[in-house]
Amino acid sequence: MENNYMSTWKKSSIRIGTPTNLLAALTAFVPVIYLCTAYGCWPDPSIVLSAWGLTALSFGAFYVVEPVSYYASLGMSGTYLSFLSGNIGNMRVPCAALALDVTKSEAGTIQAEVVSTMAICGSIITNLIATTSAAIIGSAVVAVLPAFINKGLQTYASAAIFGATFGNFAIKKPKVAVFGLAIPLICKLFIPIPAWMVIVCSVFGTVGIARMFYNAEKKVAK
Amino acid sequence: MDYLAISNLPIFWLLASLTIIVSAVQTILFVRQANKATRECHLDPQLPKQAFKIGLISAIGPACGVFIVMVGLMAAIGGPIAWLRLSIIGAAATELSAATMGATASGVTLGGEGYTLTVLAVSWFAMALNGAGWLVFTGVATPALEKLRDKMSGGDIGWLAAMSAACSIGIFGYLNANQMIGAGGSIAVGPAIAVLTGALSMMGISRFIVPRYPKLAEYSLGIAMIIGIACAIVYDFAAA
Repeated sequence: MENNYMSTWKKSSIRIGTPTNLLAALTAFVPVIYLCTAYGCWPDPSIVLSAWGLTALSFGAFYVVEPVSYYASLGMSGTYLSFLSGNIGNMRVPCAALALDVTKSEAGTIQAEVVSTMAICGSIITNLIATTSAAIIGSAVVAVLPAFINKGLQTYASAAIFGATFGNFAIKKPKVAVFGLAIPLICKLFIPIPAWMVIVCSVFGTVGIARMFYNAEKKVAK
Repeated sequence: MDYLAISNLPIFWLLASLTIIVSAVQTILFVRQANKATRECHLDPQLPKQAFKIGLISAIGPACGVFIVMVGLMAAIGGPIAWLRLSIIGAAATELSAATMGATASGVTLGGEGYTLTVLAVSWFAMALNGAGWLVFTGVATPALEKLRDKMSGGDIGWLAAMSAACSIGIFGYLNANQMIGAGGSIAVGPAIAVLTGALSMMGISRFIVPRYPKLAEYSLGIAMIIGIACAIVYDFAAA
């Protein structure tokens, strides 16, 4: 029953996720198309393409590398949800990982899909509340908070949550975690490669190390 | 022709909301899908509620960061577009990058002299195109990613679990390293402290506190994050 349901789940995820992600890609252009139409400020297409080219130079590889790397942590629904709503590293994955942990869900089960999907949905609501309230009352709030709190939240929130999520995994797989941190640190400190290559080395390097430990543990078990 | 005044016109709030509505609708559809699966597979009905609550609460900390960043972004590119871009794919740094490239390609600086409505349009196009990169790739290729994961795990459930954990460890190792090493290969002490104290707090809470107070499990990430931020702030004061 479980296996049959998995394929139902996947079909339904694709039916929901594909049209919504593609639709969002299109609707994101509505404001700029209105701007150009209403104010007659259509830019030269070659300038738009070169602006995008410059941006794609920095981020293009991530369009592919990030979904591939995060897929195992997010699952199918989670991937559609996270790549539309963003804030993947600092909100979606940590919330999904914690929920899987607290509910003791096993990877690859329908329970894991349900739990990570719901956790990601919860985090999306929180983010929408944050961005919408910032739009309405943001300036007023920032004006009354002490400067060091503003700075702390802006500068350190991501670092702290990345560390905390890493810690959550590290405590379960300490040997793998050591390499998981060492590989990107070494790359960043000593090997001048572009950022997307560091991600690839980090993720696939860590998976390779995990495979070695896994095989070794299997041999010992035999 | 003040580009910020125009960016903040009410019509743009409406137009920006279209994409946000798509995200909200998608979220609702996936919640329904999860609840349906819970019923049909006879899972504990508390599980989806609990998971939703965990997501809602654990995201509060980082959402406060997004709140503050958004105020800054609103000043740079206008309220409606900042609201749109931070509610969907694309962190503030990525969006500012794209907006800046728009200005650069037009031969001016973001918000500087010569930053006309046409240049504003280029910035907005660049941001929409950049975001579309992730949206189109996932919209089209996610089923293939599932096949890729199946291939990599080779049907071995134990390895699937270990591989998923390894992927996450690799990703967060990278994100940590990115925070800890600043431009030019030097160590960024403040963020490094946030990363390390965040990690150690989480490990400590998971190991020693949650077993005795299981209800705290849902808040563990948030607590560890606050400790990480607080330690980094203390360092800031000490180093100042």
